[in-house]
Amino acid sequence: MKAPSTPADPLEEKIQTLGEAELEKILKVFRDKLPADAAANLNSCVHCGLCADSCHYYLASGDKESMPAAKLDLVNRVFKNYFSMTGKAFPRITGARALNRDMIREWVDSLFGRCTLCGRCSLSCTMGINIFALIRTARTALGAVGLVPPGLQSTVDTAIRTGNNMGISRENWLETVAWLEEDLQKETGDPRARLPIDRRGARLLYTINPREAMFFPLSIYAVAKIFYAAGEDWTFSSANFDVTNYGLYNGDDEAAGIMSNRLLQAAAELGCRELILAECGHGFNSNRWEAPEWLGRKADVRIRSILHVVAEYAQTGRIRLDPSKNPKTVTLHDPCNLVRLGGVVDEQREILGRSVQHFIEMHPNREKNYCCGGGGGQLAMTNFAKRRIEAGKIKASQIEATKARVVATPCHNCIDQLMELKKHYKLPIEIRTVCEIAADALVIPARPSGPGLGLS
Amino acid sequence: MIYAFGRGMLPWEKESAARHLPTYVAGLVYHAGIFAAIALALAQAAGIHLPNAAVSVIRISMAAGLCVGAGLLLKRLTKSQLRHISCPDDYAANILVDGFILAGLLSSWLPAALPVFHVAAIVTFLYMPLGKIRHCFFFFYSRFLFGSYFGRRGVLPPKRAAKA
Repeated sequence: MKAPSTPADPLEEKIQTLGEAELEKILKVFRDKLPADAAANLNSCVHCGLCADSCHYYLASGDKESMPAAKLDLVNRVFKNYFSMTGKAFPRITGARALNRDMIREWVDSLFGRCTLCGRCSLSCTMGINIFALIRTARTALGAVGLVPPGLQSTVDTAIRTGNNMGISRENWLETVAWLEEDLQKETGDPRARLPIDRRGARLLYTINPREAMFFPLSIYAVAKIFYAAGEDWTFSSANFDVTNYGLYNGDDEAAGIMSNRLLQAAAELGCRELILAECGHGFNSNRWEAPEWLGRKADVRIRSILHVVAEYAQTGRIRLDPSKNPKTVTLHDPCNLVRLGGVVDEQREILGRSVQHFIEMHPNREKNYCCGGGGGQLAMTNFAKRRIEAGKIKASQIEATKARVVATPCHNCIDQLMELKKHYKLPIEIRTVCEIAADALVIPARPSGPGLGLS
Repeated sequence: MIYAFGRGMLPWEKESAARHLPTYVAGLVYHAGIFAAIALALAQAAGIHLPNAAVSVIRISMAAGLCVGAGLLLKRLTKSQLRHISCPDDYAANILVDGFILAGLLSSWLPAALPVFHVAAIVTFLYMPLGKIRHCFFFFYSRFLFGSYFGRRGVLPPKRAAKA
């Protein structure tokens, strides 16, 4: 199933007008961004095809083009054609192919439109090939000449231009925080309850996904409530609060580095000891693991997920959770970037285990969990939306099998995709973040104490 | 790293191996047959006289390897998904290696087949760095990279077994 390309498709228009210089630029960037490790990986694929049913796109559609090996092969054939001795000498035998307009169409269609960079195929690969990283490298090369689907590119552009991916102004951000603070004070009856902004010397700098400020303020409120109950010394930054980093998905290392660096700078300027990343899968992977590669240096603050912090509160008794406040059966969707590519596996289970009466795992889970279909920038690429919903069938089936009424997931991209799956596949579920569920289970002490209260 | 080269290769750890157990086992048997043929070629080249028991093990490994090698070739020829990701090199490598094993097997009984085996060995070794067979070099490096990537992030080895 090929995504239809119409004359109005800006990418198709761009492909049709590509000149030799641009084709050469794609190849140059591809080669420059391809380290020796990646070239070794490209030489390792034996075309066994055993990776096929690790991919939710292939499982859902049966399309041969969606097999991870087929997607990798598109990259490999170009690599052989230009950068391998045998590929240059015997292109027909080795399957080498030139990077012409047809091939570029296939790259765009498969590498952007059939992959969420979830990494599940790599775990299944007999050789252990880092398939998603090679696909990202090809995306980088396409991006060098503007061949990124417009929705995805505009998300990156907006973040670079305004400081966050939804273009939220400083005034709107401060206003949102102010009314959330009012609500927290009302609920707790405590005028010391704060959502601090730019508080110098705070222990934690907390970040959010801008979608939370725009559409899901209760996610922010839930974390603030937990911080309040724990008496945490924390703050937001008024300027740099966006945990997301779509540079991971469009392959633009430079833009990705700018975005990650903003958070590090904010933490440094405010003198915070830790940068705490909101419930956002790719935000965690980007800022915790990829940023040192993009920036060429290690972070000088400790970087953790909010899940690490809340799990620690629960384990050490800094907050009390009453599971009877959450009587419905809850299952957990593991975001790929947080779990399979991030290593945050047990914290969300620790929190939910203490916050809900009935918890049921979906299968497979943890690092083997299926992608929901919302990663890889898919939610921003409307031209591939139909395929994204179809690929989400695998996740919908997993959820249905649990018979749970609540799906918890620590990622707002996943939440958006799960909401669409809920509508499309008529799933009788609520979808919530882990901290929202934990906040509902909180037993708030009458007058919590701690360095974060009554100091500002 | 230890996980990547050890437990991480086991069928109950690797979903693709668990789901396609016959193919996975066939792959193992095929490679055992290839290594048996290589061992035989090296022994002959070095003038080492192998004991009968060793020859029997090598013969069984080569015979089994040849059978599954032919089976894997047939699978590649008949499955449209595999044909989609295959290039002539995939078929050539399989046929070449099958021929090498067959020649080795024959030469273990028929001294007259020895020159054929030696020629097949030379051609196979020459093809090794040029075609698909070069994965025998890259396999180890790729598994090393796999282990270091997922190990550094604390993803592997899994803290608890995920039920598939």
